[in-house]
Amino acid sequence: MTGRRVAVVGAGMTRFVRRAQETGKELAFQASRAALDAAEMKLDQVDAVCLTSAPDAFDGVHRKGDYLADGAGGWSKPFIRTYVGGGSGVFTAIQGWYTVASGQADVVLCVAEEKMSSCQPHPQGAFLTIFDNILERPLGPNLLWIFALEMNRYMQRYGLEKRDIAAVAVKNKRNAADHPAALLGQADISVDDVLASEVLAWPVQRLDVSPISDGAVAIIMASEDAARQLTAAPVWIEGVGWNLDSTYWTNRDLAYPEYVENAARMAYEMAGITEPRKQIHVAEPYDPFDYKELHHLEGLLLFDKGKAPEAAAAGVTARDGDLPCCPSGGLLGVGNPIAAAGLMKIAELFWQLRGEAGARQVPGTPERGVAQAWGDLMQVGTVVVMGSDRAGGLRGSDGGSVGGPTQPITMLGPTSLSDAQFRSAAGAVDTPLDVRYAWDPGDAVGAFLDGFRDGRILATTCTSCGRTLVPPRAFCERCFRSTDAWMELAAIGTVETFSICHVTWDMRPLDEPELPAVIRIDGSSNGGFLHKLGEVAPDDVRIGMAVEAVWRPLDDRTGSILDIAYFRPRDPAPDRELVAAAAAEMTP
Amino acid sequence: MTVRRIEGELPVAFRYTPGVGNTAFFEALRDRGTFLGSRCADCGVTYLPARIFCERCLAGLVPDTECGPDGTVESWTVARQDVDGSPLDPPVTFALVRLDGADTVLLHRLLGTADIGERVRPVLRPERTASILDLEGFEPI
Repeated sequence: MTGRRVAVVGAGMTRFVRRAQETGKELAFQASRAALDAAEMKLDQVDAVCLTSAPDAFDGVHRKGDYLADGAGGWSKPFIRTYVGGGSGVFTAIQGWYTVASGQADVVLCVAEEKMSSCQPHPQGAFLTIFDNILERPLGPNLLWIFALEMNRYMQRYGLEKRDIAAVAVKNKRNAADHPAALLGQADISVDDVLASEVLAWPVQRLDVSPISDGAVAIIMASEDAARQLTAAPVWIEGVGWNLDSTYWTNRDLAYPEYVENAARMAYEMAGITEPRKQIHVAEPYDPFDYKELHHLEGLLLFDKGKAPEAAAAGVTARDGDLPCCPSGGLLGVGNPIAAAGLMKIAELFWQLRGEAGARQVPGTPERGVAQAWGDLMQVGTVVVMGSDRAGGLRGSDGGSVGGPTQPITMLGPTSLSDAQFRSAAGAVDTPLDVRYAWDPGDAVGAFLDGFRDGRILATTCTSCGRTLVPPRAFCERCFRSTDAWMELAAIGTVETFSICHVTWDMRPLDEPELPAVIRIDGSSNGGFLHKLGEVAPDDVRIGMAVEAVWRPLDDRTGSILDIAYFRPRDPAPDRELVAAAAAEMTP
Repeated sequence: MTVRRIEGELPVAFRYTPGVGNTAFFEALRDRGTFLGSRCADCGVTYLPARIFCERCLAGLVPDTECGPDGTVESWTVARQDVDGSPLDPPVTFALVRLDGADTVLLHRLLGTADIGERVRPVLRPERTASILDLEGFEPI
């Protein structure tokens, strides 16, 4: 065990809605108040406040942490905001854990708030900046691209069926029908409904995706001594872990979340878990997309690589299955106010492990669960293992409630606004965020783009790990040393993964689908870089297809990623012309 | 040294609805020309504009406490430049005004001059739309 033992002693949340009338502060208040009420506590019993909320750009408030502090009970207290994108909700519980475990505080209120509905025309606008400003933004990326490219790679690596993946969306939306806070619960949804929904960026369809939402969640964490005084049924934080993969996301293994495995191993080691498949009884993996739940279950070592989908389709992860996953309904069903959604998973484990989850209760009252979230540039894994007193040996007699009478989720709000009410609201203020940026690409990427002017593809090499790096960089992020040399590679490569995208970033339909792809330049290591495919019918694109760069006319090149117009399929017998030319030269 | 420049933007705008507390405040201002706050009896604090919670104890509050309309200048400043550095002509005076009965202050325009501790009264626009600009500013009494 690391530090003092820490328990969760209370949890509360707002409903997750599409548009809340409440401000972010008011949402934070409603969740905080609900948690305090559920634990029958007053704010003056709280020593410190840990808060999270995802990008400031969602709200246009460039100091969202302290902006939200009033509503989160942070007045005149030690207060900290942490932020790791979508991983934030679970991470704020980790922050709460070490604030208590360290002895700095006995009781901590952890609050996660998200209000996405203020952001116009679409919250994806705030997400665009996660793409590389130099190498990716000029391509006009759409956030869905990342998920579509990852999902396609995952499906291709393991030969997965979309039908099996869609089973996750069905399970979670059905589970959410039993959650009083849910935005998209649907008891009668079927796999065919998911497969018939609009294709956004193949293989991602509308019902594969969680909804944009407003909402907040709060939990109260306490030291062992404080927890014993506050509740008869503390739920212990047994292990915490977090881990980051490279921000060169196109260089990552898109089929397997290594960073989740690393975070899980860290948490399991702290919790003394050696056989997670036997010792974990309920899981709340992060599910903003249906395939992500499966991806994450594999990273959490709860299923073999590529085997989670068939388990999901067979009902293993159903609420009454052998390993219930997202009994809450998850992000796909309850909703996805980003930071709040992660902390909702911690709150769900609290209720499940106390036997207080009502209609959502997993049969047999589980003793130990794991919650996980994912985010930043889709490369952070945050993991928390929680256990009831019985997980430590104090087994209950009948698997019933251990927290006294079952308490419904205490909810104060929020008030949901219809689109019309939102448009006509009295006192509403419209504010553009009128900012422009000019970026210098730096030495390594600058040289890469200068090479484009001459139709050359340049890489850097690291002799320590032996990698040839495209995009090139001045340092190797793995060996943490300067790269050693430049080399030139032919402008030919392989499609690592691709998508067929039918919408713009603000979700307007495209007349012609775009074909974003990750292209690995032949001779480079670890994936490749983001670009588009052309001169090919969408249905003819395959992972592993040989492609070549199509350069813009020399006079049109500006030292931009767009100097390559696109990549097109290369003749499978690529050297035929070269061979013929060479043969011609040799003819006397 | 090669200087390269790649340009970009953050293509977002925001539509803020005022929330529950502010909506009650703005509707009272628009419809009745009054200043609605909320009071936490336990903490002995009256917030203006109205809030639905007390930031000190997180108790739920109801927007039911009228303040003002007269108040006291807590501080003031004269702005001679706009946000982009261009001259403001004439200069604009801003004040923090604590309305009678409130423990918090409002930031607004001061129409005329009044020193710290001096009394002011609100000047309301005849046509009001539920906005902080329904109040033209405060003038000396």
